Amino acid sequence: MEHIGAGIAALAVIGPGIGIGILAGMSSNAIGRNPDAAGQIRGLAVILAGFAEGLGVLAIVVALLALFIK
Amino acid sequence: MTTDPGGAPATRVEEEEPVASATPPRKRFGVKAFLLLCAAVVALDLLAAILVPPFPKGGQPGQACDYPACFINSVIEFPPPPVVLDLAPATAPATAPLIYFHPSISSTILTMWIVMAFILLLAFLATRRMRQTPGRVQNAVEWAYEFGSDFAVGIGGERARRYYPIFAAFFLFILFSNWSGLVPPVGKIEQLRAPTSDVNVTIGLALTSFVLFQGEGFRRLGVRGYLGKFFPIGEFRKGLGAGLLAMYVGIIELFLEFVKPVTLSMRLFGNIYGGEVALAVVSALTLALLPVFLLGLEALLNVIQALIFSVLTLMFILIAIEGHGSEERHPAAAGGVSADHTAPGGAGNHQPVAA
Repeated sequence: MEHIGAGIAALAVIGPGIGIGILAGMSSNAIGRNPDAAGQIRGLAVILAGFAEGLGVLAIVVALLALFIK
Repeated sequence: MTTDPGGAPATRVEEEEPVASATPPRKRFGVKAFLLLCAAVVALDLLAAILVPPFPKGGQPGQACDYPACFINSVIEFPPPPVVLDLAPATAPATAPLIYFHPSISSTILTMWIVMAFILLLAFLATRRMRQTPGRVQNAVEWAYEFGSDFAVGIGGERARRYYPIFAAFFLFILFSNWSGLVPPVGKIEQLRAPTSDVNVTIGLALTSFVLFQGEGFRRLGVRGYLGKFFPIGEFRKGLGAGLLAMYVGIIELFLEFVKPVTLSMRLFGNIYGGEVALAVVSALTLALLPVFLLGLEALLNVIQALIFSVLTLMFILIAIEGHGSEERHPAAAGGVSADHTAPGGAGNHQPVAA
């Protein structure tokens, strides 16, 4: 049963996947409109992608807890 | 190279030929040598897999191990770190519950000491013999310091300059701790493991950051001023509705204050530990070539996670020391959690001008 629970918890990584995808699209749009600001947009995009990734990691932590805590 | 247009094509063609024939022998590391190196590494991996095949965890080398399941099980590492030195062997719990306290030196603590010694050695070597007009090493170190300082000020405004040392300290320590998990012996030997892949270390770092920004908030605004941000008693003067709303927002913000260290620690732990497990599993399944890309991705992600931890700590410090109702906008990323803290004050103060 724990394995099913861990599998369902790992499905939550879809969220950051979509979020980072939207971030990538919008930041590419912004760089296309304003190539002079490419450095700032790139830096901002990297940091924001890290935030979104962190939330997906919370899902992995729940899955690990489900697997390893008897 | 001459730039006279008259008669240029003839002379330039003559000049290019000798130059073109001179470059290939001068290239030190051509494509062929690189491919040869890759083939050698792949051959070494396959040879190692044949000569020293993986064995079941806790078993003897040489026991039979079937391809997917046992390979993966032999390299997987569990969240609690293995113990290197047990300081109180008499009271060791037989089956470990979820949270327990037991004095011991785990492999992550040992690796953390090694990383600390390495960073201190680097710092010592970089700042030996400092002069007024810098030499080469001092110039490079000063450039790196200013680069980081400009980055911190670019994110947080001029007030961040005062908190740049703690930002750089967190960044360097977490960066080298993360990267130490990718160095070959670490993670394979029982005695070494990346420090930040351990929940204990990341919770410790997050608690340090928490005490730091709460302490800075209390120091700057005073106890009444700082607690007044969460429990604004003064809003009751504007009416009961405004007071209750402000108290509601304050309680949510108080809750968010305690969520901050939890997310800091779990984000770092999950990324580094998950990266290590993913790397181990992919290396066990596909012996060569594919893990290299994952290794590169992991190296990049480690830098990003170190950056995020230190940037968030800096942002939390800056948010904690600004007074209630001030409308300063941060130039870049809005620090995540308290972006809506300045919104009610900002919207309320801008309306009379429009009306």
